[in-house]
Amino acid sequence: MLAVETKGLVKRYKDLTAVDSLDLSVNEGELFSLLGVNGAGKTTTVRMLCCLSEPTSGEAYVMGKSCTADMAQVKSVIGISPQDTAVSPRLTVRENLMFMSRVCGLDVQGSKQRTDELIELFSMQKVVNKRAKTLSGGWKRKLSIAMALIGRPQVLFLDEPTLGLDVLARRELWKVIESLKGKITIILTTHYMEEAEHLSDRIAIMIEGKLAALGTLSEIEQQAGAQGLENAFVAIAERGVGK
Amino acid sequence: MNRKLSFSWRNIKELIRDPLGYIFCVGFPLVMLIIMTVLDQSIPKDSVTVFHIEKLAPGVAVFGQMFVMLFTSLNVATDRGGAFLMRLYATPMTASDLTAGYILPMLIVSVVQSVITFTAAFIISVIIGSTLNIGAVLLSMLTLIPSALMFIGFGLILGVLFNEKAAPGMCSLIISLGGFFGGIWFDAESTGGIMLKLCKCMPMYYCTKAARSAMALDFGGSVFLLPVGIVIACAVVIITLGCFAFSKKMRADIG
Repeated sequence: MLAVETKGLVKRYKDLTAVDSLDLSVNEGELFSLLGVNGAGKTTTVRMLCCLSEPTSGEAYVMGKSCTADMAQVKSVIGISPQDTAVSPRLTVRENLMFMSRVCGLDVQGSKQRTDELIELFSMQKVVNKRAKTLSGGWKRKLSIAMALIGRPQVLFLDEPTLGLDVLARRELWKVIESLKGKITIILTTHYMEEAEHLSDRIAIMIEGKLAALGTLSEIEQQAGAQGLENAFVAIAERGVGK
Repeated sequence: MNRKLSFSWRNIKELIRDPLGYIFCVGFPLVMLIIMTVLDQSIPKDSVTVFHIEKLAPGVAVFGQMFVMLFTSLNVATDRGGAFLMRLYATPMTASDLTAGYILPMLIVSVVQSVITFTAAFIISVIIGSTLNIGAVLLSMLTLIPSALMFIGFGLILGVLFNEKAAPGMCSLIISLGGFFGGIWFDAESTGGIMLKLCKCMPMYYCTKAARSAMALDFGGSVFLLPVGIVIACAVVIITLGCFAFSKKMRADIG
């Protein structure tokens, strides 16, 4: 089964077409990166797939469920770590995780068990009783991803997870994301080419809301006629869509 | 139900861990209670009856509830601004789970605030030799529950309509207007004319009047039943509008 599928997906805001006839398919267990400059339509695409924005037209499916007709079912199989860390600032790390697990429908015992599992998975033992607002950017991002994983989602959306992090924190987070590879499907949006290059199974490049290139790193390099993802991205971006 | 309670619990923790919550929701009303009692003791007896402890305590309790409105608006606006609500929108939580999760903890905070204010007022009344009737105190506290809901509804609306910077400003405006036209710091009944008409246009006036009548154990139609009826009607309308505004905003956010 495809984990994510879009068919002619369109999102318009008045005069602006943020996403234009997007056709994508992501396999189960794949780490799929959406690349693009600011305003390319990456976050809008993620929002539509997470039922946070209604498509103007076209169809979007997550684990075979329609993002417009079966919203409750889609929400029960996804997890999202938004661009902003979106944690509860005065709750501790443990309390944030417990809260999200209860929201995801786990009982008290199940919540405690799942919280402990994620604290161990993310090596958060030393910050577990710290309030979220006192955490560094890297820890906040880890907590944000852990909160997204609490309901055992089948598809995880990471919207620019390493934005604003220093190089060490970014590398640390890459390890976390790598540890999830193959276990669940991950849709990653990022500005950082080396991040997409390092983590992704396949990459989609979006330009002005349209899909400009899609494939593995080597396939993208081939399509662009350039070596390295950054060079390939620049070549594709300069060429524009359909030029 | 679990989701509502979990979200309520989260909101209570957020509030009780904010030092500003104690300063504004508890400290400020208590300070006003003490200052106005000192003032009352310093002026000729019966020259200004509104500062007598049996009238002051219900007024200050209403004043304190307006700060609960401020914190409700701040809580909603901050969650919206920081994408926390966006994360929750992507879960099975519904608009009614979220609104109940905002209203319930604030109602509890408001009741606790009333208990603290009236306990302090009772202690003060004993000290100044004008002991309050405990039954009247309890009735006055009960009378304040609909007004608490009304102010929470105002907070919900302002938190939906304004961001975390603008919402407190708008609440301050309502607190100032409410403090003035609610007859908390002066006897509105004794003014008459356009001033009394303006006071009667503000729901805060009826909150204060109902709570003071309950404290005086005066349950007459015009001094208790009518004001209580008006406050309950306002509470129902405002809280319904608040829930509607939140639900509409949620739909717009995911539109």
